[in-house]
Amino acid sequence: MKKTPLIFAVIATIIVFELLGIVGYNNIYATQDHDPVKEPILARVFSAINDGIYPWDMFNEEKKAGIVAEAGKIREKEEAMKLKASGEGADTASGKEGTDTAAANGNADTSAADGNADTSAADGNADTSSKTGEAGGNGTGVSLSSDPVTLEKISPTATPEPTPTPEPESIYPEGRLEPLRESTYDEYINHISADIYGDTGVLRAATYEFKKVGIDYFDDALFIGDSRTVGLRDYTELKDHADFLCETSLTISKVFTSDFKGKGTVEAALSKKDYGKIYIMVGVNELGTGTTEDFIEKYAEVVDRLHELEPDAKIVIQSIMNIDRERSTSDDIFNNTNILGRNNAIATLADNKVFFYININEAVCDEDGFLRDDLRGDHLHLLGASNEIVVEYLLDHGV
Amino acid sequence: MISFADISFLFRFLPVFLVVYYLVPAKYKEYVLILGSLIFYALGEGFFVLLLILLILVNYSFAAWSFRVKTHKGQEHIDKVKKICMISAIEINILVLLTFKGLAVFKDNSLLPLGLSFYIFKMISFQADVYNRKIDRSLTLSQAAAYFSLFPQIAQGPIMRFSDGDFGYEKIITREKIEEGLRYFIIGFAMKVILADRIGILWNDIKMYGYQSISTPLAWMGAFAYTFELYFDFWGYSLMASGIMVALGFDFIRNFEHPYASKTISEFYRRWHMTLGSFFRDYVYFPMGGSRCSKPRMCLNLMVVWVLTGLWHGNGFNFLIWGAVLGILIVAEKLLYGKKLEEIPVLGNVYTVIIICLTWVIFAINNLGDLGIFFGRLFPFFGSSGVVNTSDIFEYIADYWWMFVISIVLCVPAIGKLYEKHKKSPVVTVLLLVLFWISVYFSVSTKGNPFMYLHF
Repeated sequence: MKKTPLIFAVIATIIVFELLGIVGYNNIYATQDHDPVKEPILARVFSAINDGIYPWDMFNEEKKAGIVAEAGKIREKEEAMKLKASGEGADTASGKEGTDTAAANGNADTSAADGNADTSAADGNADTSSKTGEAGGNGTGVSLSSDPVTLEKISPTATPEPTPTPEPESIYPEGRLEPLRESTYDEYINHISADIYGDTGVLRAATYEFKKVGIDYFDDALFIGDSRTVGLRDYTELKDHADFLCETSLTISKVFTSDFKGKGTVEAALSKKDYGKIYIMVGVNELGTGTTEDFIEKYAEVVDRLHELEPDAKIVIQSIMNIDRERSTSDDIFNNTNILGRNNAIATLADNKVFFYININEAVCDEDGFLRDDLRGDHLHLLGASNEIVVEYLLDHGV
Repeated sequence: MISFADISFLFRFLPVFLVVYYLVPAKYKEYVLILGSLIFYALGEGFFVLLLILLILVNYSFAAWSFRVKTHKGQEHIDKVKKICMISAIEINILVLLTFKGLAVFKDNSLLPLGLSFYIFKMISFQADVYNRKIDRSLTLSQAAAYFSLFPQIAQGPIMRFSDGDFGYEKIITREKIEEGLRYFIIGFAMKVILADRIGILWNDIKMYGYQSISTPLAWMGAFAYTFELYFDFWGYSLMASGIMVALGFDFIRNFEHPYASKTISEFYRRWHMTLGSFFRDYVYFPMGGSRCSKPRMCLNLMVVWVLTGLWHGNGFNFLIWGAVLGILIVAEKLLYGKKLEEIPVLGNVYTVIIICLTWVIFAINNLGDLGIFFGRLFPFFGSSGVVNTSDIFEYIADYWWMFVISIVLCVPAIGKLYEKHKKSPVVTVLLLVLFWISVYFSVSTKGNPFMYLHF
């Protein structure tokens, strides 16, 4: 030990971290992904630190209980989805295809939704929303919990409605669309963001008559977003008008916890100034996390909270910007099929009164839905100069 | 797993390999090394391991043929056969290298096997050393296979010479040597993961927003960020590789010697990627006549060496420009102002750092149009045609200043001397331990992401 203290210290600390990993395996590290074949248990200790979970949290009973509960939820969900998957398998085998999903969703046309999801998954690349609509998401099966505003308008090729059956009271707030189906177990474990809504939300949002506005329109606007919004702030004149709370790697779950490199939290910003519009674009960073359901649930929570804090502000949900062809066609997670699933989900939050949805991809993508080569700085970002096109799009889509 | 900074290499492959290597009797260690190296390469490159095996057999066969030449036919005959063996083997090696480089350029970049340029250069030096009788006839296939396939060196060098490996001699492995290797490894690991990978994000950001949109101060900051990224990535990798080699019982192979403290470009390249520089010197420059010839011939020799160096580094036209520019500068130093730069304090250092930084920009940007735009931002004599964020530098300074400070400090040779003096002190040991675990943290938190740019 005297002659070779470093070897001793490295081995000793490996043992300590391994023990920590083992002791915390079922409590503070219960939510960490871990591949025992490729990685030592101690990898959990470090991936947890990255998530803000430190070894001494083992003595913090409250935090520990929270993590255990979350892990329990994840396990339950996994098991429920697994059960559902095996149930669906059995049903399919006995010729009762689709009935489970229909019952679970309280609506009938699950086959359309399944067709839609299959189509987009099989494409493996970006279909624009209109294309997906043709593929099957024609909205016929979507039910509105109330306020059946524009169903006729948005489903011109409507197939005959199934005979209405009494449905349980919806858990969805007024005006919000229900999913056509749930993500499957396969989608869940393979990080596929299923298109569980189809494009009904997108089409409904598009019925709003957006107006052309001048740059001063943004004087009372707040932009919240990830690195894509950072580009908008740094390379356009918008920064002279609007306020920006944006940072690289922002996710929907961090919107209210981040302090944006010391600029303060969203809540603090909203308490200091009355904003007339709040623009939000997040979602690309968490593509590999959870399901479309988890994402939309969190997203709804965030926009509802924004509305609660700033009741007079119009909240503009911006589509997650698509990815270029090279990355989208070669990446299992960061691809436009997954983005489409999530965009179609967040579009359903738009009620065209308080919440609006605008599809930035209309301005920056090619006909196949890929981020245009002449505008991109890398696979996922616009060149600084290309952000001007986004500003023009925003000026054409005032609410 | 092919990266030494990968958690599965660090905590799975390496410890298992080392335990087996240390436990087997000395006479079997070479076989363990070959097997481990081939497994390592196959895990990263799949079927390309077959190409490596084929090249090992081909190169050994030519060497063996060269050794078996009938001595009774006279020296001239021996020399002739040996020369034929060497030239044939080198031609095959170069042909393989050019074929795969061509496939990478015209077909798909993934068709270039990892480390091909490095192990082909080892094979070329091996053939030249066999011809020059620096390798004797006791050579065995296992020695040649171990030398060519050595897993610490296969991906990015250093380009060790066969004679530096002491193959055929029993490796003396002591705990002190393992400790020494571990120290080198940790320093390299930290340089790569904590410094190079992080400062590289700045360069990536600049690429992402477009060169036309960056301010001139940010262009310079970006050029220096790339300068440091390249240095600490490569030096760090070389230290990790040589650290493992030391722990396996080999001698330490020096690949960098504080190049940024050089006073001329020529000196810089004597201290940067030293094993590549000495390869070109010994196997290209000297055989062409080196500097013991007329001045025009010497200039030609230098230009040939530097154009080849440029082409070896990459497929783009920018690498050719990069090599040619360095060749011209080195010729100019030899003929005109090299001596003066060495005499005047500081001037040479400033000249070297700035010129090298600018040449790295040529190295980094493979689109000539973009290269022009970047130089236009570095030297904005003609203004800018794009949307420039003039205040971009401040945010980047706030985020990156500490990395620049550490990078500059590590470029000072005195730091190396200070480390050598105190490397066995408890403070340094604790520091290395902390650096190791911080590096593991970064490695885990960015796993599966070779580009570090997972967060958008």
